Amino acid sequence: MSFGSPYVTLPDFTYHRPRSLEETIGLLGQYGDEAKVMGGGVGLIAFMKERLMSPAHVVDVKEVEELREVSLVPGKGIAIGAAVTLSGLLEGSYLTGGYSVLREALARIADPMIRSRATLVGNVCEAIPWVDSPPALISLDASLEIAGPKGRRTVRVADFIRGPVDVDLGPDEIVTSVSIPEVKGRRGAFEKFTGGSEFSLASVAVTISGEGKGRKARAVYGGVNSIPARSAEVEEDISAGLTPANVKKAAEAAARSVECMDDVLASSAYRKHLVRVITTKALNRLMQP
Amino acid sequence: MTEISVNVNGRVRKRVVKDNELLLDFLRDRLEVRSVKAACWRGECGLCTVKLDGSLVKSCLVLAVEADGKEVMTVEGITPDGDLAPIQKAFVEHGAAQCGFCTPAWVLATHELLRKKPGATEEDLTEATSGLICRCGTYNQIKEAVAEISGAKPIRRVREKLAEA
Repeated sequence: MSFGSPYVTLPDFTYHRPRSLEETIGLLGQYGDEAKVMGGGVGLIAFMKERLMSPAHVVDVKEVEELREVSLVPGKGIAIGAAVTLSGLLEGSYLTGGYSVLREALARIADPMIRSRATLVGNVCEAIPWVDSPPALISLDASLEIAGPKGRRTVRVADFIRGPVDVDLGPDEIVTSVSIPEVKGRRGAFEKFTGGSEFSLASVAVTISGEGKGRKARAVYGGVNSIPARSAEVEEDISAGLTPANVKKAAEAAARSVECMDDVLASSAYRKHLVRVITTKALNRLMQP
Repeated sequence: MTEISVNVNGRVRKRVVKDNELLLDFLRDRLEVRSVKAACWRGECGLCTVKLDGSLVKSCLVLAVEADGKEVMTVEGITPDGDLAPIQKAFVEHGAAQCGFCTPAWVLATHELLRKKPGATEEDLTEATSGLICRCGTYNQIKEAVAEISGAKPIRRVREKLAEA
């Protein structure tokens, strides 16, 4: 029974279930900004209930074979299709070794019932500030493959997210997959603090690769500001070597350099405290061989 | 409007649905499967959980048209012969239902957990049911009921603990 409240009913729309990428792009080209792509639907259906989105056409891409694939090429990297669910990725044991930072982030998103519907690409495209996959993907230097009537293009996740709920994607375009390059010897750790809610008040994804002077590090913070952000200061401290002294230095650098917002969930000062704590936790784990 | 055909608990049901109809409304209002509860409507409480083609999903976040040609199982489907499943008997024995509103979802989720992992630990239970809420707070009794079936880790009954205190 629906009570007529906008929170329980959905606006009227026409449902489409294309079977190929070509058909999907055709539909998006035909309906443009009247259409919305639906992957798992957990975000879109919730947004539609609240009337934050009222597309006239919903294009469900779950049955598009090309988008359901995960291809893991040793020595090159991994490509994850837009219709691949978080559960599918976690249960498929794809995210080991150099991709473990992503597994750590995905395993703690929402709950198993949501993860069995939600897709990784959908998670990125929502571009909600407290979503956990973008920091992990940026720490892995991931890119998105985008297809549209004008052809294909590739954009880095870091450039794709322009602002809260604002991404570099045309109304007639679709993200077909996310690609992560393989980097030999890369290790990573993900930490977040939610305060018991479903929102990350602060999260960090750290990756390290190489040794000695060739050591490279990435530290990406989510939940603290409108978009995920790297900290050059933290990355510099980590690149100098993982020692207890450097971890302490990096944690202080994080609290100093990472811009943190004030909102109803937490104050800027509290977020800065959290940034210091989660940086320490992530680096302490990485210090152990 | 689309005609869909969904296998619900072993029976194929055909209905014409609107494109914007939720699977939750389809099950409750069209097929009168009232064990699937409507509470938060936004994927938070988990009381509308059903099994859709092998995975547990929250039916308030699924369109009815998406279930076309698929299999849906609700709590009624766990024992097709009408008997109580072991986990249901354990729920009764341990008083794991208070008002009973959330019980169908909990029974379905714990039954599914024990089917996949017969020796499920308390940690497995916490993870598997992290998307479910019980406003009466019968979590401890549910833990006891599951532990009785899994035998993984005997948990002292709440009332025994209280008696000691």
